Amino acid sequence: MALLTERDNTTVMGKIRPVRSRNFALTVPALLLLVVFFILPVLSLLLRSVLEPEPGLGNYQALLGSTTYLKIFLNTFSVSALVTVVTLAIGFPVAWALAIMPSRLSSIVFAILLLSMWTNLLTRTYAWMVLLQRTGVINKTLMGLGLISEPLPLVNNLVGVTIGMTYIMLPFIILPLYGVIRKIDPAILQAAALCGATRWQALTRVLIPLATPGMVSGALMVFVMSLGYFVTPALLGGTANMMLAELIAQFVQSLVNWGMGGAAALVLLVVTLALYAIQLRLFGTARMEGR
Amino acid sequence: MTAPFLQIRTLRKDYGIVTAIRDVNLTVERGEFMTFLGPSGSGKSTTLYILAGFENPTAGDILLNGQSLIATPSHKRNIGMVFQRYTLFPHLSVGENIAFPLKVRRLPKTEVDAKVAKMLKLVRLEGFEDRKPAQMSGGQQQRVALARALAYDPPVLLMDEPLSALDKKLREEIQHEIRRIHQETEVTILYVTHDQEEALRLSDRIAVFSKGVIDQIGTGPELYANPSTRFVAEFIGDSDFVTCRVLSARDGRAELAVGKDMTISGVPIHGSAAAGSNAALMLRPERLSLKRGQTGGNGLSATVTDITFLGSNIHVAATVPSGEALSVRLPFGHEATAGLARGDTVSLGFDPASAHVFCA
Amino acid sequence: MLLNFDRLGGWKWILVGITGLTAAFLVLPIVFIAALSFGSSQWLIFPPPAWTLKWYEAFFADPRWLEAAGTSFYIAAIVTVLSVLIGLVASFGLVRGRFIGKEGLRALFLTPMILPVVVLAVALYAFFLRIGLNGTVTGFVIAHLVVALPFSILSITNALEGFDKSIEDAAVLCGASPLEAKLRITLPSISHGLFSAAVFSFLTSWDEVVLAIFMASPTLQTLPVKIWATLRQDLTPVIAAASTLLIVITIALMLLVALLRKGLKS
Repeated sequence: MALLTERDNTTVMGKIRPVRSRNFALTVPALLLLVVFFILPVLSLLLRSVLEPEPGLGNYQALLGSTTYLKIFLNTFSVSALVTVVTLAIGFPVAWALAIMPSRLSSIVFAILLLSMWTNLLTRTYAWMVLLQRTGVINKTLMGLGLISEPLPLVNNLVGVTIGMTYIMLPFIILPLYGVIRKIDPAILQAAALCGATRWQALTRVLIPLATPGMVSGALMVFVMSLGYFVTPALLGGTANMMLAELIAQFVQSLVNWGMGGAAALVLLVVTLALYAIQLRLFGTARMEGR
Repeated sequence: MTAPFLQIRTLRKDYGIVTAIRDVNLTVERGEFMTFLGPSGSGKSTTLYILAGFENPTAGDILLNGQSLIATPSHKRNIGMVFQRYTLFPHLSVGENIAFPLKVRRLPKTEVDAKVAKMLKLVRLEGFEDRKPAQMSGGQQQRVALARALAYDPPVLLMDEPLSALDKKLREEIQHEIRRIHQETEVTILYVTHDQEEALRLSDRIAVFSKGVIDQIGTGPELYANPSTRFVAEFIGDSDFVTCRVLSARDGRAELAVGKDMTISGVPIHGSAAAGSNAALMLRPERLSLKRGQTGGNGLSATVTDITFLGSNIHVAATVPSGEALSVRLPFGHEATAGLARGDTVSLGFDPASAHVFCA
Repeated sequence: MLLNFDRLGGWKWILVGITGLTAAFLVLPIVFIAALSFGSSQWLIFPPPAWTLKWYEAFFADPRWLEAAGTSFYIAAIVTVLSVLIGLVASFGLVRGRFIGKEGLRALFLTPMILPVVVLAVALYAFFLRIGLNGTVTGFVIAHLVVALPFSILSITNALEGFDKSIEDAAVLCGASPLEAKLRITLPSISHGLFSAAVFSFLTSWDEVVLAIFMASPTLQTLPVKIWATLRQDLTPVIAAASTLLIVITIALMLLVALLRKGLKS
């Protein structure tokens, strides 16, 4: 039984047999699963990008040389950036409020955050498709208030994607940021006030700088997650603003072009891993301590 | 001749190139309370963990009633242990915790229940059997841990700094409990601590560990009166050291020159020193007498640097001309302390037999 | 002052306002969907002209919906069991083990969490095409296991790191064999970690869309795939009914978790 191998420095007549690696065997099932069904398939997909239809970098030339594809890259980055900025702008005050609110109030907000996070992704996206459609509640309300006379196009465009993605990403920035602000000692801000700082100065020179590591880390996470998002952009976005994940799926599913699909996947993978490397570089140790 | 109850023979443990303990030899009598005393990293816990079977020795052997324990895995050694941290099983009640070792031994339920009740009575926690560990104080948890470790009547009980997480008052209270339980059960206890007071209060004998070896084994009074190394002298009781010169040494007694003008003979000497070499003279604060004014030749002259009132005692700090600091502890109201002030010159006297000199 | 709610002055109301609006933003879509699932309007007009249960009737009358839900549950259940088992064993290796490259291995085990799912989906789809696992329960289980395992390993290693090994040692000295000590003492003590590993694994599989879209065949599809396929045609209120059922399950799971947490604390 694998669990028994834990203390495997067996002693014979007082002599010790040192064992180099202890308990490595326990990780083998998980490792095997990931090697066979994760690492190898992904590598083989990436390999196809330089092998199909013929060996060479033709797929990458086609991908990076065409304005159609470049537009998709650009769109992916700008949507992700926009979503990141909006979630951060909303997330910071909310996290701040949650950190200091009486727990009666904050626990309600936490329950809502969790409910929203745990609700099926398609359900949430569907909800926004319904709300944002031409005859949806939002257009109806705005027209009823007399603010607009024609229904606004809110879905199948950038507005729809941004709203839908922001909705999904908000908890991912509020929760970690809440943790960061919660850890700041209120005495530091009292000290700032005693030093003569106005509220605004205390905010911009003390609170925000102290929360910056959390904001950068959360923003990076949201940005990276947005880059590879598939479902929400596919349902709420239009054909004019397709994103990278959809492009990959399209190459494989509709066009059966594995070479191009692999190339696009590599681009997404490289950008994602690079941003994660930055994240680890900046915050890796701090995160470990937090555990 | 019967074999000793517990015998540790030339035990050694290496971690890579680091030697944690070496040459540890020890014999423990049945029913004895033996304490391993030493600073952290001195090897006392390593020795205990080898006894428990959590570590394997690099060399050496442990014999219980003449039988080697080394090849026996921990769970078959039938040894009890109380740990430094609280190790009650968090999901089990107090009663279930105590019953655990009995249940794994597959004892009948009536016997288990009777034993649990007896153990709860022993540690004076009757009525707590349905509590969960999280609902108990640290002191109570350690008492339950003690009950659990004793429930299966182990021949040897190991205790690894069991009170270090408790505050001073509670610690003393539980020390009394441990003494009482030791007397009631007559179990053999091996106790690890870095607290000399705790060691002195509890133990029959103390093994002083330093840098992986046992410096000295003896009863508390033996260690206090006759420390065999400077380390033991420092660790048991308070002590100060003054540099002196060895004039001659014979039969374990030495004649010394201290400072410019003082010569004393009959001081117990430890280690070998050539005549004329320097050595350290140990003086205990409570064994020094103090007189105002210059010495008449048979006292150390010193200058008072501080006087502290500590309730029943008055603590006088002084420096000898060489710059070394000494402290003197005098009972409150001692005549020599009246009107004593910083900067005063005093003469410090002592019985040569109560001092010790250690060669480098 | 800025971190003292009562002394924020006027800013307090700005913060409360933003938080309130955000909370509304997060909760209202869910409420709307639940309300619309009882509305009679085919076009999801709000407020609905009349109340009805016909979308639920449609849902339960269509064997394809029920079948998809059953498939989802079946796959999620298998994924949960495997993910907790493999994750448990691997966590013991990661937490208690001593071997070269341990930290690297831990990082590797978590990478499926950060990798864009679409890349994995496409890669696995290609691999499964070759070995014929697309459209099979095995294929679904493997694909979901790859993304669920990191959550399992994360929860269990966290719990195991918080568990004092001395407690297990104490059990061994009490006479329990190392395996018995693990089963009777360690596992119950880290049960909260095992439980959250199970919940996360289940939800990961139950909610997973992207992998499922690629793995699905006309004869085998999960509930999210069925919703996805239906959504691409129209926004029929049957989806609102299905969504509401999913929301109810989510709330039930959340309550269960909250209750168990409370139970663990007391």
